[in-house]
Amino acid sequence: MSYKVTEEGNIATIHLDGEIDMDVTEKAKEVIFPHIDAGKEVHLNLSNVQYMDSSGISVLIESHQKGLEKNTKVIIKDVSKSVLKVIMMAKLEQILNLE
Amino acid sequence: MSEIAHQDHTEKKAFLVNSSSLKDVRSFCRDVFEKLQIQQDLKDELVLAIAEAAQNIVKHAFKNAAKPNELMVVQISCENNKLQIAFYDRGTPVDPKKVKHREIDNVKPGGLGTFFIQEIMDVVEFKDGKKPWINHLVLTKQL
Repeated sequence: MSYKVTEEGNIATIHLDGEIDMDVTEKAKEVIFPHIDAGKEVHLNLSNVQYMDSSGISVLIESHQKGLEKNTKVIIKDVSKSVLKVIMMAKLEQILNLE
Repeated sequence: MSEIAHQDHTEKKAFLVNSSSLKDVRSFCRDVFEKLQIQQDLKDELVLAIAEAAQNIVKHAFKNAAKPNELMVVQISCENNKLQIAFYDRGTPVDPKKVKHREIDNVKPGGLGTFFIQEIMDVVEFKDGKKPWINHLVLTKQL
């Protein structure tokens, strides 16, 4: 998994790239969580993530819940078809902020 | 159910029991499903189910602490359009009664892997592990 972060005002946009599985979840959290903890609105762009398993879904849930705790938002953007299918299988499409 | 008659085929491969093997498990599955000419959407689902089962071996049967050379084996067989994926490992014996996913409406991190496996596959069955193996999981799907 690779990533790129850009910041503009209070918005941190994080582009993740590759496959998100148990092997990379800690790295994903290290990239995402500090921005949420800093109170930034996080835009998580998943257009280049073609595979995500239950561990990756857990990172999305944790990020969403952390965002609520910190009174900010985590918006998941440009989800690939294959990852959207997994999000829907987990019945999270109404819970997570998807754009 | 698929209208394609998939050829009979069996392949198996051993992997080290650790999280960095999961991408190799997926790659092995994708190669076999390519040979079986399984259509993309179903292939994605099957790869997810298999990777989740392999992840459960790493995470639960070995509690993320397998010895460096510990192996798990994944065998994919297709016979008469019935796909069977068998997993063999030497981790802590699994009690099938304790293998449960979380309530799907109780949104929290974790507990989804088993749910995905059950959603995707027709049958999920723990069989008696024959020596040298301890756990023997079989996932079945009619193609």
